[in-house]
Amino acid sequence: MTRLVAVEFFKLRKRMMTWVVSALLVGLVILMYSILWSVSGRVTTFGEEQQFTAEELRRALFLQTAVPFSLQVVALFGAVLAVILAAGAVGSEYSWGTIRVVATAASGRMQLMLAKLIVLAAFIAAGALLAVAVGVAYSSIITWANGGTVLDFVTRAFVRDQFYAYCRTLLVIAPYVSMAFAAAVIGRSTLAGVGAGIGFAFIEPLVSGLMRLASDPWQDIPNYLLNANTQVVLLENDLPEVVRLGPSNRELAERDLNSPEVATLILVGYIVAFLAAALITYRRRDMTAGS
Amino acid sequence: MSQRHEILRTEGLTKRFGRVTAVADLDLCVYEREVFSFLGPNGSGKSTTVGMILGLIRPTSGRALVFGADMASRPWPALKRVGAVIESPAFYPYLSGRDNLRVLATMLGDIPASRIDEMIELVGLADRARDPYKTYSLGMKQRLGIASTLVRDPELVILDEPTNGLDPAGTREVRELIPRLAREGRTVFLCSHLLHEVQQVSDRVAIVKSGRLIAQGTVDELLGRGHYLRLRAPDDAELTRALGAIPWVTRVQHVDGYVRVEAPVGRAAELNRTLAAQGVYVSELSPWETDLENVFLELTGEEAP
Repeated sequence: MTRLVAVEFFKLRKRMMTWVVSALLVGLVILMYSILWSVSGRVTTFGEEQQFTAEELRRALFLQTAVPFSLQVVALFGAVLAVILAAGAVGSEYSWGTIRVVATAASGRMQLMLAKLIVLAAFIAAGALLAVAVGVAYSSIITWANGGTVLDFVTRAFVRDQFYAYCRTLLVIAPYVSMAFAAAVIGRSTLAGVGAGIGFAFIEPLVSGLMRLASDPWQDIPNYLLNANTQVVLLENDLPEVVRLGPSNRELAERDLNSPEVATLILVGYIVAFLAAALITYRRRDMTAGS
Repeated sequence: MSQRHEILRTEGLTKRFGRVTAVADLDLCVYEREVFSFLGPNGSGKSTTVGMILGLIRPTSGRALVFGADMASRPWPALKRVGAVIESPAFYPYLSGRDNLRVLATMLGDIPASRIDEMIELVGLADRARDPYKTYSLGMKQRLGIASTLVRDPELVILDEPTNGLDPAGTREVRELIPRLAREGRTVFLCSHLLHEVQQVSDRVAIVKSGRLIAQGTVDELLGRGHYLRLRAPDDAELTRALGAIPWVTRVQHVDGYVRVEAPVGRAAELNRTLAAQGVYVSELSPWETDLENVFLELTGEEAP
């Protein structure tokens, strides 16, 4: 198993796509900070339902909220990039025909897939850390430029909260990555994985919105899908509403969402289901060339 | 032959994809240190059979045993002793030839780096070993495929069309490599379209058509060496009639302007005497020489694969 993990690590590290995806994530963090910083210098108030001041926006970009802000970028855009990475890691094996080579060289089909998942998880976790590091660095500059360099907010509890926020963000990415992985295995192609992961992420909120307008039993279904539960979990990251993308607090309150505990369980259930589908399919199916 | 160890055996091996039967009730037996060629027209089930032998495709019924291991249920112990290129070489395009072999060696374990260099040298890729695989020509890819099968020092080598894309010099190298592998103590299971090459390097041959085994035996057995005579006489009809009256002469056929009969080559003189006694004088009488390609065409009723 160690050998297989080493090989998967080597393959992913050598692949250009891995570095392109990482560069895109870093670029997106920088871009988001730059845009919001620019906005805070040009307006005095903004917002439709709730009015925010430029000062509130500026303060939300300070070091104190750098971790949850960067993690928001990871949850929104990083998830898409992680889906591409996961689908590519398994789908390309089919398109290149290497799936049959590694299957005859690996010490078992399950071990091969598990090694892939371990390395993918490690890369995605490292990518999220990279995004946080870049966000903290950029936010430090903004904070320093505004004379707010006092670090007395960094307590043991603060560090613990940031770590939990990091874990929550990885948790909300994981179902989409698992779905992409499973779809790539079942569809034997990268396209199937990317299509399923990204397609679901974009279409689900639209369909959920329509379901909420309908009567029972449709109304409650979105609470058991991915999007609503990822929002519940991400709310726990305590990001100021002024820089939070997505539904407002009032909108979320109207939706009668699950508790964070239930939402976590539902997301874990999806992860387990998708990964089980991928592993069982790969283990049982004939290994023929992919599409 | 009975004292030789079986390396590979298929018993009633069958694979159906929906309503299509790709392989039907296939019984093969490959012995140690022999070159066994597996021939058949396109779509005859060769690759499916190889897939089942390697545990990549599950049989609908029957089983494939490699080194005694059932490849559908527990392939790994046997796979460690098998090197195979399936259909066409498949490698990571962004990795160099050397890195591709390194990936394989790491997965298999216990393969020193020197073995990788040795194999790269053997297939003549030393100059391009550090270049990405995607920049390789078809012939270079094929060479890397052969290197990847040998890097694990396998006891059984499965080569599916190993000369595809190779130039004449490369084809000759592979043709020389195959018997050398057998001399080194390896068993070679070869699928090839080049029947002339197969005839030169093979000890035994199996021919499949539409997933069914239609012939299996040594090359000499398949070619009927020592068992067929060809004759020519001024009056073909008279010759055919006279041959029909001889009990130990069978399968009288008209082929390529000759009369071909199944009869021991060692009794040619006796046959000549018998015909002369009946007043039939032959103008030509010699052993029937054919090649694998003709046998293949005759058995499969198709163009050469």
